[in-house]
Amino acid sequence: MDAPLYLRPRVDPPLAALLSDRPFLHSLVDVLGSPLNVLLPDAVAENVARFRAVYGRHHLTGRVYFAHKANRSSALLRRLAAEDPAAVGVDVASVDELRHALGCGFTGDRIMATGPKDAAFLWLAARVGATVSLDSPGELERLSGLLRAHGLGRIAVLVRLSGFEYTSGPGGAGTRLLSRRSRFGTPLRDTDALLSALERNAETVEFVGAAYHLDTTGVEEKARALEQCVLFMDECRARGLAPRALDIGGGFGVGYVAEAEEWGRWTTALTEAVLGVRPPLTWRGHGYGLRNEGGTVRGAAALYPAYRPTAGPGYLDELLSLPAPVLGRPPASLLLEHLHDLHIEPGRSLVDQCGLSLARVLDVRPVDTGSGQYLVQLAMNAGDMSLEEHGVLVDPVLLPRGEAAPGDGEPVGVYLAGNLCLEGDLITRRLVFLPRLPRAGDLLAFVNTVGYAMDFRAHHAQRQPVARTVAVERRGESWHWCPDEDYWPITPVGEQSDEV
Amino acid sequence: MRYDSITEAIGNTPLVRIDPAVHGLRNIDLYAKLEMLNPFGSVKDRPAWHMARSHLEAATGGDGTLVELSSGNTAKALALLAGMHGVRFKSVTNRMRVPEIKELLLLIGAEIEELPGRSECLDPTDTDDPLTHFHRALSDPGSTYLHTDQYFNPRNVEAHAEGTGPEIVKDLDGRAPDWFIACVGTAGSSTGVAKVLREHDPRVRVLGLVAHKSDFIPGIRTIDEVHEVGLFDPATYDTIESVTSDEAIDGMITLIRRCGLLSGPTGGAAYQGTVRQLRYADGELDGTGQRRTAVFIVCDRAESYLGYVRQRRPELLGRTAQERSATAVTDAEARAEARVIGVDDARRWSAEGDPRPLVVDLRSPHAYAALHIEGSVNIVDEVFEDLLRGGLPFSKRTPVLLACPVGEKSLRYAAALKRMGHPDARSLDGGIIAWRDAGAPLVRE
Ligand SMILES: Cc1ncc(COP(=O)(O)O)c(C=O)c1O
Repeated sequence: MDAPLYLRPRVDPPLAALLSDRPFLHSLVDVLGSPLNVLLPDAVAENVARFRAVYGRHHLTGRVYFAHKANRSSALLRRLAAEDPAAVGVDVASVDELRHALGCGFTGDRIMATGPKDAAFLWLAARVGATVSLDSPGELERLSGLLRAHGLGRIAVLVRLSGFEYTSGPGGAGTRLLSRRSRFGTPLRDTDALLSALERNAETVEFVGAAYHLDTTGVEEKARALEQCVLFMDECRARGLAPRALDIGGGFGVGYVAEAEEWGRWTTALTEAVLGVRPPLTWRGHGYGLRNEGGTVRGAAALYPAYRPTAGPGYLDELLSLPAPVLGRPPASLLLEHLHDLHIEPGRSLVDQCGLSLARVLDVRPVDTGSGQYLVQLAMNAGDMSLEEHGVLVDPVLLPRGEAAPGDGEPVGVYLAGNLCLEGDLITRRLVFLPRLPRAGDLLAFVNTVGYAMDFRAHHAQRQPVARTVAVERRGESWHWCPDEDYWPITPVGEQSDEV
Repeated sequence: MRYDSITEAIGNTPLVRIDPAVHGLRNIDLYAKLEMLNPFGSVKDRPAWHMARSHLEAATGGDGTLVELSSGNTAKALALLAGMHGVRFKSVTNRMRVPEIKELLLLIGAEIEELPGRSECLDPTDTDDPLTHFHRALSDPGSTYLHTDQYFNPRNVEAHAEGTGPEIVKDLDGRAPDWFIACVGTAGSSTGVAKVLREHDPRVRVLGLVAHKSDFIPGIRTIDEVHEVGLFDPATYDTIESVTSDEAIDGMITLIRRCGLLSGPTGGAAYQGTVRQLRYADGELDGTGQRRTAVFIVCDRAESYLGYVRQRRPELLGRTAQERSATAVTDAEARAEARVIGVDDARRWSAEGDPRPLVVDLRSPHAYAALHIEGSVNIVDEVFEDLLRGGLPFSKRTPVLLACPVGEKSLRYAAALKRMGHPDARSLDGGIIAWRDAGAPLVRE
């Protein structure tokens, strides 16, 4: 066998301590079954504090809106609801998320409604005084109509913009930074109709600012969009409108893999495997979007950049500090000098290190004789753990049931199969290296899965149970837990609320 | 030397010996092939002209556009050649990371399209990367683009097989060197030269240099990225080694400061990689009385990479952490020494003061134009800093109210003015934001 290619996860202190308490995690799965999601609500508050520190450093005001779509948990939402209302809000993208946010203690004025909206969603958002991020003039007209028809009060709206591609410089020569097309938002060059609609409907909607969310890891594209929004808001002021907030969406990223070297080695090996100069690293030679065309690699790897030197708050800081292309000043100065609030909508990066998913090993057998590779079947399926869906490649942590016997320590390459009766149900299509062969009854812990991977696609298929979710808290030397739905930030985890 | 066109000056570049006192190899003569002395400044002048010539000579000033995926030297050469022939040039790239090169391209008249970054929320079923998209657009039947396609075009290799390679052999009196070393970008120069040298002498050893995987050296590829190059064939190279940006800059500094060769980072990488690689072989030759020869390529010149150096090794440009000159006031000193004034008092002072204060808004002109305190003047902080360096810019009889967004910068300047002897300079507490939040009026122009 070649040297094992690990992609070991980044594990920060609270999660590391939890992982090291194997008996506790085993006892949880014994009681609650596999799969099981375990959350650390306090970690989400720490992440907020890190984002707020970046605000502080740049003297910026505005809110951190948690993008609810990243995770369904009540515990996380309730923990965030207990934070300073001026600093933390929630971004909801459906009527159910909105109901959930309200039920977890967010008042309407801390809620931002984004995404595709039906009438019920718009009505409830308006009813509770949420801010609505509008995608188009049409949506504005629908909202206004609804407000008038139901005699609802004036509500705050942001306008979501897109299409920040632009050509600098007259007469051909110039640079154009292409941006990824988005289904959402109004293209910047079509904002005239939007502004007229805002003016026309001034008695139903209060225009409070502009928004964008770009699906890209490129900071330059975001800095350019930010600057163009500032210029746009200036135009709005010139027309007599008074916007004062700029919402720059989410997408600050997470570093999943701890070591740059491991990530580098693995991705190089993938290219080599696609070219056929080394054995495949994946189930049936899957290339993650790379292909071999006459000895040359074509295509782009559909992989999340799992090792990221700057992510989350660090990425925000970098974005705010980059020189802006037209006005020259960095985005932080632009916002500050134009007296704008900064809103952000981190999803994935706000729940970084906030939890893990556990799966019990059901069965272990060789893939075929002589390959040295094994198939490990888990009590979990690709819906419970959509790592593949999001292109996130990271190793699970093996939590043996008992003490490892001496001589057990040989690294081994395994494929992780799910519990559905489908050939395609693989937890990951990558050959995963573990420090030793697992046994039935051991647990695999998928670390840092809270952002999108944990329950984004979970559903009842083949009558397999969907993962239960629990919140845990460390008190003194021991861990305490409660079902996600029973967590309240005012009660110690695992105690009765009437004791307070 | 008299030419009818600058294109005639392409090629025939010098082969210059590197002083052994510099490289320290005792048994190997090391030569630099100075491709940086091509008329447009780089090794790419040859393939650019060789690939584009027939297209350009056929184009009669029409509305054709030449396109290439290039972040630098090929784009530069093609843009100049296109300009000479009345054709437009467009560079499409996601590697344009050196600002000077971008500006130089704009000066030449190129259009630049930068490809977007990768998706944050992946759709793994979408294998349609921006480049694939781009290639599809080019092969559209209706497209008027001429794509030189440097990563796949055999004429790129041919330009070196007909020019660079034979020139090296000629300057070595008809012999091939024992080693040939080149950085790998499109693989054009290394492949073309290696082919010719091996025809002369199959024992030539060819070393290809790439950038360290997690590093960035403008113009060359990392070990993964070379596999995306159509012209790249691993069999061309006896060895492929990687170099770091640090080594590239070290090599560049040696060539510049000790050899009088104004090389860019890839020339530096080639030099440094060569010496690193040959040190062992040189030791083996000790006492055998044999001499060997090695040739490396200096691709381009240093001038375009000052920003790159500034970012990585500012000390080479005489920069240290910038101290605040006129405002050499620490935050603590500013807090202790500066006078501040709250919004309510400031409003009264600016309306009723005798004399009234001069209100100085330190924000950028754009923000100032959008909203400001009526009657204020705008002196952006950087300019104000310069003004103070020249002396006190206001009469001591004119009181001054300094305003910035949150009252932090203005505090430091108020302290600086006080130190310079101004009797009444005050900082607006909480800045323009506090002013706005108190409901005080702001006007726009
Ligand atoms: C409007 C909007 N805001 C925020 C987010 C959250 O982004 P992330 O989880 O990458 O931080 C998304 C994700 O798609 C989004 O569409």
